[in-house]
Amino acid sequence: MINLSINGKPVSLDVDPDMPILWVVREELQMTGTKFGCGIAFCGACTVHLDGQPVRSCSTPISAAEGLEVTTIEGLPDSDGKLAKVQQAWIDAQVPQCGYCQSGQIMSAAALLRDNPDPTDEDIDAAMSGNICRCGTYPRIRAAIKAAARA
Amino acid sequence: MANRVLMLFGLIACATAAMLMASTSGAQAPPSKADGLEAWEKAFEVFSHPRCVNCHVPEDNRPRWSGPSYGAKAQYHGMNIIADDTRKKAAGLPCTSCHGVSNLPFAKGAPGAPHWALAPVEMVWWAKSSRDICEQIKDPARNGDKSLDEVVEHVRSDDLVQWGWNPGPGREPAPYSSAELADFLRNWVNSGAPCPVAG
Repeated sequence: MINLSINGKPVSLDVDPDMPILWVVREELQMTGTKFGCGIAFCGACTVHLDGQPVRSCSTPISAAEGLEVTTIEGLPDSDGKLAKVQQAWIDAQVPQCGYCQSGQIMSAAALLRDNPDPTDEDIDAAMSGNICRCGTYPRIRAAIKAAARA
Repeated sequence: MANRVLMLFGLIACATAAMLMASTSGAQAPPSKADGLEAWEKAFEVFSHPRCVNCHVPEDNRPRWSGPSYGAKAQYHGMNIIADDTRKKAAGLPCTSCHGVSNLPFAKGAPGAPHWALAPVEMVWWAKSSRDICEQIKDPARNGDKSLDEVVEHVRSDDLVQWGWNPGPGREPAPYSSAELADFLRNWVNSGAPCPVAG
């Protein structure tokens, strides 16, 4: 059994320790906000937080999360369901086009804003370039991060 | 005339025997400086390999993608990866977001090892000469405040150093082995840790 906390709730899982965190949240826990993109930690679509640090869940085995806190996109709103500032900024700026990469983008943006509450364009590029958007929504991603920083 | 030639041969023979005895009795002596330089050059073959220099980069804090695994031309790490001065992360993006504690088991998958990070900036090896790296490794101010014995032990046992010989599918390992590198460095240290004069 692997014991961890997901979005603040303790869970005990009887799964292969090598199962990627992504499979656990999507298939075992039916939380499908986190997406599968490339499967080799190259695109960022599957980003979740492990004890607050962004990780590519497609490439991180659940055994690495033993005793830790996993936060997915479903865990960003507060306990009353109010969206996080970064999520609200994403809606206000109408960032998504097809939307597939956006939960990973938002998780990376949340980690950036926590480490650097007032990021420059260069800071945003350095933190976000590991998240690929095939629709090319990068200018709106940058605008939304700056809006969230001001909010 | 014949006698004088014989005498000359005799003298040469005696001298040779004396030299042989001297070199035999010197078997316990430390290895020569030439042995040390030879051992260092083998260590330099390792340290200058892409598996090492791609992360021993200068102040630009940009990991490289160079070597046979990445084609003829050296590139910066894709995805605009630029670390801050911790050399372990950009704000909001630690190296460990993608680089876990072990390699992904398929070609082009992100490689991984414990405490994945760029080497400290004072340990830059990228585009440095054999002499430069040799002097750096001997300088406690630029080698993590290590004695040479500690340097040898670090090379032999550190998990991230070991990754150089186990870089995952599709990447060329560093030459020799970790144990051989430790032997080269041990011989180099025992010979007085000489550095090449140039190059």
